[in-house]
Order: sequence, then structure tokens, then C-alpha cells
Amino acid sequence: MTTTKIPTPSSDSDSHSGSGKQLIALQLSKLDKRAKARVVVTVAILAFALFAMPSILSLYYVDAMTQVTVYAIVALGLGVLVGRVGLVSLGQAAVLALGAWVAARLLFATALPYPLVLLLAGLITMALGTLIGLPALRMRGLYLALITLMLAGAITVALATTNFPNGGHGFLGYNSNVVHTPAIRRPAIATSDPAFLRYSIVVAILMFLLVVWHLRSRPGRAWAAIRQSEASALAAGINTTRYKLWAFALASFLTGVAGGLLAGADQFLYSIDFQPQDSITLLAVVLMGGVYNVWGAVIAGLFMQLLPQLLNSWNVSPYWLVVLFGIGALQVLTTAPAGIVDQLPKDLARLGRFVYRQFRRAAPVGGAQ
Amino acid sequence: MPSWQDFQPFLITGLALGGVYALSGVGMVVLFRATGVLNLSFGAVGAMGALIAWQAINHWGLPQGVAWLICILFSAVITGAYGLVFGTALAKRDPLVKATATLGFALLLLGVMELLWTTSGGASRALTLPTDNSGFTVSGIQIDWTQVIAVVIGIVITIGAAAFLRYTKLGTAMRAMANDREITAMLGVPVNRVLAVAWTGCGVLAGIAGLLLADLVQLDATTLTFLVISALAATLIGRLRSIAVTFVAAIVIGVVSSMIVPIQSITNYANMTPFVLAVVALMVLSGRSSISLERGGI
Repeated sequence: MTTTKIPTPSSDSDSHSGSGKQLIALQLSKLDKRAKARVVVTVAILAFALFAMPSILSLYYVDAMTQVTVYAIVALGLGVLVGRVGLVSLGQAAVLALGAWVAARLLFATALPYPLVLLLAGLITMALGTLIGLPALRMRGLYLALITLMLAGAITVALATTNFPNGGHGFLGYNSNVVHTPAIRRPAIATSDPAFLRYSIVVAILMFLLVVWHLRSRPGRAWAAIRQSEASALAAGINTTRYKLWAFALASFLTGVAGGLLAGADQFLYSIDFQPQDSITLLAVVLMGGVYNVWGAVIAGLFMQLLPQLLNSWNVSPYWLVVLFGIGALQVLTTAPAGIVDQLPKDLARLGRFVYRQFRRAAPVGGAQ
Repeated sequence: MPSWQDFQPFLITGLALGGVYALSGVGMVVLFRATGVLNLSFGAVGAMGALIAWQAINHWGLPQGVAWLICILFSAVITGAYGLVFGTALAKRDPLVKATATLGFALLLLGVMELLWTTSGGASRALTLPTDNSGFTVSGIQIDWTQVIAVVIGIVITIGAAAFLRYTKLGTAMRAMANDREITAMLGVPVNRVLAVAWTGCGVLAGIAGLLLADLVQLDATTLTFLVISALAATLIGRLRSIAVTFVAAIVIGVVSSMIVPIQSITNYANMTPFVLAVVALMVLSGRSSISLERGGI
């Protein structure tokens, strides 16, 4: 699996008779067109999400979309680990809780501007994540996954005991005696829910750009090599430990920033909202969304945070989703490793071809060439 | 600091829990050694078995013995079926992929359980074994027969599994398959039959563990599904290989996490015990760096 995302020209271009040069030029222009189309579509989706969506949605779905944005960033980090480097973390929800804790503590204790708090939350979570990753990276894949599960369990228990900061004093910032706790503050430019959604989307876009930049430069190539074979990557002179740690650090940074957004989105954090099973659900939706494409992270975010709200509004038990995620994870692992982001266009194209063929067959003779 | 008197009942609870963890841990290690699959759906299967047993007793009016058999049978069949379908389909993949797939299966079962036996609305269920009501007293400590059974089953399964792998033909075949499936098949071992036995056996143990944990801890789908993590910690300390180390680690995890409860200052951290012990053990044990030669990732 290569990490470069140049689409392969479809095989029908082989039928063109012409010199090799012409063929290459044709393919290049075709590729250019596709790339251009992709940019246009991306910009259109982002513009809609940023300008139109927050104003037209009801408050219920604005909140849901803010959660989607937060979890898309988390999914992006996990997707880099799973899809690009081949590392599995079963503790990302705990890392998210850690990021939210750090951000909440900073927001209560300091008057730092919000973007700076997000950056600090990302960096502190990154430092903690790297600290965890450093000894764990010496282990093989399965052990690494399990040790992250263990650490996530430990973090969850610790957070359940220390609680999230609620404006109290001391290092933990928790005051158990107050009835009316102050809300976690939001940036001055984004105090309302729709404004905070816009703010989150902008942060998410920056995070996605950070990841795309990583994937297209040296680390991305090193990760691709490690994923193929760690031994040959080592033989090719790649410092595998350093790049694996780098991936861990990047994922932790993203998750920490997402935690900072979550603190502002929820405004009141409770440890009961962070359960170890969230990490497992997260892995399932990330696999379902697709780990080889950054858009898979958006799908994962929608799956994890929008679908439950939709089902809720239709009075359907959200546990149907747990069943769906379980089946989805099994299906991705056995038959469709690239996830929905890859499968859906293929299936749609297949459907399109099928409909087209039916139409051609049914068409009168005069219509055929 | 509480006195020894305060610790005594917790020691017994801890030993009983440790016994069930040992039973679960050994079940997972044996399956891992035979098939290369770390079965993370162990807890979910046991939980569903226990819930079905509860249903059988309270709604279908079946006698308790029959309900327990149904629980164990269900666990065996569903684990065997998973092994047949996904164990085969994923046979040549990385151990990480195999383990992740069992997590997907656990999620599926968890969702079904929450749909069929909903917990919203505060509905609580209990599965009590008749052995809870009678017991004996040793130097002032109340011990009931369920706790004795938990410890004894833990010990019996551990010794039984070790002897099975060491001395029986089937056990030897399983160990051979752990090394190389293709060569084992070439030597005339009926690979699929051995796999079926390994999976079904693991399912039987999951059913027994589910029944005991439902009684000792709580009959709740999520709790029981994730209680497997404690047993998993024990198997990790045994490096997914050693049955003896897994047994000792399981007992230690059960006892330590239980004995912390009466100590006021750290009682809230009691649930951290398995995680912390597993992480520390792994950090210490993995002194050598190792490189995975197989193609990683999913």
C-alpha cells in the first residue's frame, strides 16, 4: 500500500492509439483534471461546513457536529498510527480525556488566549503520550496494543478519582464542595455554539493540513517503509524507532488539541463521560471509515458522534450502533481493509455501471452506435 | 492502616476473583498458543452466557442446573462458530489483526446484550449460585462454597491445561500448530479439528468464567465484558505463553486489587491494579528490543 495518493489512470486510456508521449500527456492532463476536481470538491465541502452548516442546523445538531469535529481529529491521529505506521492504540479515548483535563486546568488557572491553550494542551499531551510510547515501542504490535489498553484503563481509573477541574484550587483544580461550578471558558470570538463549531472546524482543518504535510514529506515516506517491513526499513537506513515515536507524538498532539476543543465544547467535564470502551469503539469506527485516506477520519467522526444523535432523535436505541460497529470492524478486517471511504465510491461506480448497462440493453436499436 | 482483621474477608474475595482470572487467563493463553488468536471477546461471550442463564431461570422457569448448562453450551457454540468463520478467514494475518477482530466480535455481542437486556431505567439483575448460601468459617473468616469453587476451578484448569498440552496427543498437536500450521498439516494432523477443539474449549471456559463472575461481581454486560482486561493483564505477565506465570499473576492481581479496598487512602485506585501490574511487568520483562519481521498493520 503506497501512501502517495496519485490516482491511477483508468485502463480505458490504453485503447487510445497514439505515440507514447501523447499518451503520457493525455494521462497527465487527466490526472490534473482529477486533482483539480478533488480540490474544488474539498473546498466546496469545507466552505459549506464552515459558513452554511452552523447557521442552518438546529442547536442539537450544531452540538453534535462540534463533537464530530473533535472526534474526527482524534480519528485522524489514530488513523495515522493504524494505517500509515501499522501501530494500534487501544487507548486514544483516555488520551483525549488527558488532553481535555490539561486544557480545562489551563483554562481555569490562566488567562491565556484559547489558541495558545489548545497548543499547550496538544504539546503536554504529546509529551505524556511520547513518554508512554517510548518504552512501549520496543514491543511488538500486539503487545503495544495491549499495553495501550492497560494504560488507558489506568488513566481512566485515575481520572475517575481525581475528577476534572471545576474551578477549584490546587494542582487538581477540583472543588467537591461547590454546587454551581463555573463553566469552562470559550474563546471570546466563539462563545455561542454555532461560533464554536466554526472555530472547531478551523482548528480541525489546520490539524488535517498538518497531517497531510507529514504524509507528503519525509515522515510519511518513512512510515510507509516501516509499514511494509520494519526490517527492510531499518536496512534502508530509516531510524524506525524515531519515526514510530514521531507518529505516536503526532497522534498524541492531535488528540490533545481535540481534548482542548472538547473542554470548550462541553464546558463541564465529568469523568463518567470517558469510558475505556470508547477507545475500542473509536478503533472500530476508524477502521470502518478507512485508515488509508484522511477523509476516513471525517467518516469515523460522523459515525461516532452524529449517528447516535440521529438514532436518539428517532427513538432508536443507540446500541444498534455498537452492533453495527462490531460487524463493521469485522468486515473491514476480513474483506475491505481500506474502509468505507474506499469502498463506497467503488460500490457506487459499480452500481452506476450496472444501471448504465441495463439502460443500454433496454435502449432501442436506434440509440446504439 | 486497618488491622489484619479488616483484610481477611478481602483476602478471600481476592483469592476467589484471582481463581476466575486464572481460569480466564489460562483459557486465553491455550487458545493463543494453539491458534495465534488472543480472544478479547472472552468476557463478552461469558457475559452473554450468564445473561441467557438468568433469562432461563427467571423467565423460562428452567431449573438452575439446566440454565448453567445452557450458558456453557452457548459460550462454547458461539466461540466455536467465531473460530470456524473468522478464525479461518484471518488465519494467515498478523496476530494484531486477529486480536482486533475479536474486539469487533466483543462489540457486536455487547451491543446485542444491551439491546436484549437493557440496563437503562435502572434494571438490575443478579445471578446467584446456591453455593453462596452455605459455607464454613476458618479462624473467624466466613468463606462460602462459591469462593472455594472459584479457586479450585482456577487451580484445576491450570494444572489440567498444562498437562493437556504436555501429555495428550491433541495438546501436542496444538503446540505444533502454534509453531507452524502448514508443517503440522503436512504431518497429518487434522488441523481444522484441532482448531475446533481449541475454540470450543475456550468457549466452555468463557461460559464457566461468566457464571462465576456474574455471581462474584455483578451481572452486567459492560462490567463482565471488560473484566476480561484483568485476566488479560495476567496473560500479558505470562507473555501469552506461560500457563504457570499466568496463574500466579492472576491470583496476585485478584488478591492485591481486593486487599487495597480497605485501605482508605488508595481505595479508589484498587481497580488500577491489573493495569499497573501488567504495565510494570511488561516494561521490566521486555528488556530486549525485538523487531517484528512480519508485515505489520491492518
